[in-house]
Amino acid sequence: MKTNAQTRAPKILILATLSGGYRGADAAGQSQLEYAPDTYILPVMSAAMFPESFYWRAFERGVDGIIVMYSGTDSPYKGAPEKTAEIINRTYERMKERGLDTQRLRLAAICTVCVRPFLKEIRQMNEVLDEIGLVPSSLPPAREAQAEPG
Amino acid sequence: MPDTTGEPVPAEKGQVQPQSASPDEEPRIGVYVCHCGDNIGDVVDCEQTAEALGKLGNVVVSRSYIFMCSDPGQKLITDDIKEKGVNRVVVGACSMFLHEQTFRQAVSRAGLNPYLYYHIGLREQDSWVHHECPEEATEKAIRLMSAGVAKARLMRPLEPVRLEAAKHALVIGGGVAGLRAALDMARRGLKVTLVEKTHFLGGRTAQWEHVFPTDEDARTLLRGLIEKVLAEPNITIHTGAEVVAAKGYVGDFQIRIRQQPRGVSDDFEAVEQAIAACPVEVPDEFDYGLTTRKAIYRPYEECTPAGVVIDWEHCTRCEKCLEFSNNGGIRLDDAPHEFEINVGAMVVATGFRPYEPPQGELGYGEFPEVITLPQLERILASDGPTGGRLEWNGHPIRNLAMIHCVGSRQIEGVHKPQPDGNVNDYCSRVCCTATLSAANQIREYFPDVNIFDVYEDIRTYGRGHEDYYLQASENRITFLRYVAEETPEGVKAQKGDQQPRLGRVKDHLTWGEEIELPVDLVVLAVGVMPSPVDDLVVVFKISPGHDRFLLEVHPKLRPVETAVTGIVLAGAAQGPMNIQESCAAAGAAASKVEGLLSQGRVELEPYVAQVDPERCQGTGECVRVCPQEDAIHLETFSVSGREVQRAVVTPANCNGCGVCVSACPNRAIDVQGWRLDDYEAMVDALTAEIPALEGVV
Repeated sequence: MKTNAQTRAPKILILATLSGGYRGADAAGQSQLEYAPDTYILPVMSAAMFPESFYWRAFERGVDGIIVMYSGTDSPYKGAPEKTAEIINRTYERMKERGLDTQRLRLAAICTVCVRPFLKEIRQMNEVLDEIGLVPSSLPPAREAQAEPG
Repeated sequence: MPDTTGEPVPAEKGQVQPQSASPDEEPRIGVYVCHCGDNIGDVVDCEQTAEALGKLGNVVVSRSYIFMCSDPGQKLITDDIKEKGVNRVVVGACSMFLHEQTFRQAVSRAGLNPYLYYHIGLREQDSWVHHECPEEATEKAIRLMSAGVAKARLMRPLEPVRLEAAKHALVIGGGVAGLRAALDMARRGLKVTLVEKTHFLGGRTAQWEHVFPTDEDARTLLRGLIEKVLAEPNITIHTGAEVVAAKGYVGDFQIRIRQQPRGVSDDFEAVEQAIAACPVEVPDEFDYGLTTRKAIYRPYEECTPAGVVIDWEHCTRCEKCLEFSNNGGIRLDDAPHEFEINVGAMVVATGFRPYEPPQGELGYGEFPEVITLPQLERILASDGPTGGRLEWNGHPIRNLAMIHCVGSRQIEGVHKPQPDGNVNDYCSRVCCTATLSAANQIREYFPDVNIFDVYEDIRTYGRGHEDYYLQASENRITFLRYVAEETPEGVKAQKGDQQPRLGRVKDHLTWGEEIELPVDLVVLAVGVMPSPVDDLVVVFKISPGHDRFLLEVHPKLRPVETAVTGIVLAGAAQGPMNIQESCAAAGAAASKVEGLLSQGRVELEPYVAQVDPERCQGTGECVRVCPQEDAIHLETFSVSGREVQRAVVTPANCNGCGVCVSACPNRAIDVQGWRLDDYEAMVDALTAEIPALEGVV
């Protein structure tokens, strides 16, 4: 097993909404379908709460890929999916500006029973990381942890 | 109306106030790793996980146990809270949707604020998906739970948002489940509004004559229930009505209902003349298309409400019926109207529809001699198209085959998918006994008819259901068994045949003998599908399962609740059920609603936005971006003699979506219980060099 002291294993952070992706992950578990163990799923009420600085900070800490599994149009939170998409798009811009491959961040609509799409997202992120490698140990400094109005 | 301030309501006399641990006290964290029998323990090394977590800062107890959800498992937690001063609890176990509440209640029983608890799903999201790599699964368990510990260090005691609740429930669907739920709730003192999409009460039950397992007369059963509902002053019924919009939350849903007009007054007398005058003929859905009806119609003689209605979809406004409309008894210019009601909770009892085989499945749609079981039930009904005589196209039926599992237990790639691309891979459960019940009925009333029961499996699962199988077995009903890969072939007629034939059946009761059955009628025991509820799924944000029936939170532990608090399910909207099961589910749904609303107030999770007044600079960004109405606003305060504006949250109107959190330039607003600081700490823990890992994995 790899530990942090050795060549570390990749880490994929999954922010999964309780009304969508988190239940989709549970559904995959109930079907006992295997996927890579380098995935760490955190439940979120809505991904709209995370500003761009959160993603940048996570990459700085050594997260190699982030999948935001939100509920898309099925979100129980009016306006939240659109806001999430806006934030992700702005984060892409900053990633480009600073030379970080935007493939490290994905936004996917995953419903409560979206087992196959859930597995596909993880597989694709693993394939991306196989291709582009771990996140660089030093990233260009992040801007002040501020969200842009609007 | 809700208490929109969302201020905590003082505990009533006699209630135990949970201890509200100070947010500033030193965290003393108890960590518990559940083996879940072998479900987690077979893959994740639970002892080593507990040992590793015990090395983390602030962790004062770290244990593993075979079943944390058991009474002894919960007692470990409560004893540690009382005896070791544990003031934050992290459990790694099965899904949070199963046992988060169990452990919160345990924590609360020990006097700790229930929100000082965090749950990690080690089973569904670790052991069950990483069988092949137990070492990595163990490392993952340690990292996930160390993230939980990191969050626990920052957790603060929370109080639920307590709101006033309307003691008024909405029931959607006027079949047996909806009627039963409405009656049960009304008898417990709740005001109930029932909306039924069609213009008549009774649902599918009205279309049957006999119902198993009691062989009761369905209309008598239904009439008794409807009479009680009509006599109940707490119940208001709207037929021809459907929900078109909804907003709000448990305790205070605002529901918009659209009601189609009946078009005919209750006292209209020239019913038969008006029906006869109508030139429109459309398939009669009440007889499953075996007959036709007019555009002014009633489904059956004793229907409730008793009058006729206009079928607006098919009425051509030719006005021929108006010739008999004295004093405006028929009104073809009536328009739908909309109105709003406020309810505290809802019961969704939208029922089912029978599977409609596609053209050609076992000869359906190609040969007129192939019908479905619901159509046979109408033929056997005394008010059906043949008056209860077993005949088809004017000819008596002498040989009849009934084929099970049509539209149930379908296999992707083998069976033709539905228009939405799905196949019905589930067992519809109720059709086996329904088929045997019909077979026995035919044997009783038409003893000379040869009946062939062609089945893949027979599942007579309920009390008294097996008796139908035994009765059929003893009563000259011939059984033939096929296997899924070799379904019977459709009906074909051969030259010189007096009857059509059910093509080859490879009968596994006679070791694979291939048999052709000359029959007059083939009856397909079609499965059960949910009534179309796409609109309700959108309006209420409730979830359908992969089988498209509406999904409960948990099939065993929370069997009638949806993920949306205050919306519960009753009957066949949730899955194939017979009348007995539908009524049981309706009773459970009614009890759940009563439990929610009977006190006139409900408690909501405290996961709402909270402003840090020290950081808030009154920019108003949160107000600008908030998608909810009246959830946050700016107020003027005096700070050091200076007037400043600060954001203020109205908890009852906040749903915790967090849009304001990412928008605030000063990081002055967070969602209680799910704060940005928590997530950053969890990411730090997930990515940290964890000393605890050394020498463990």
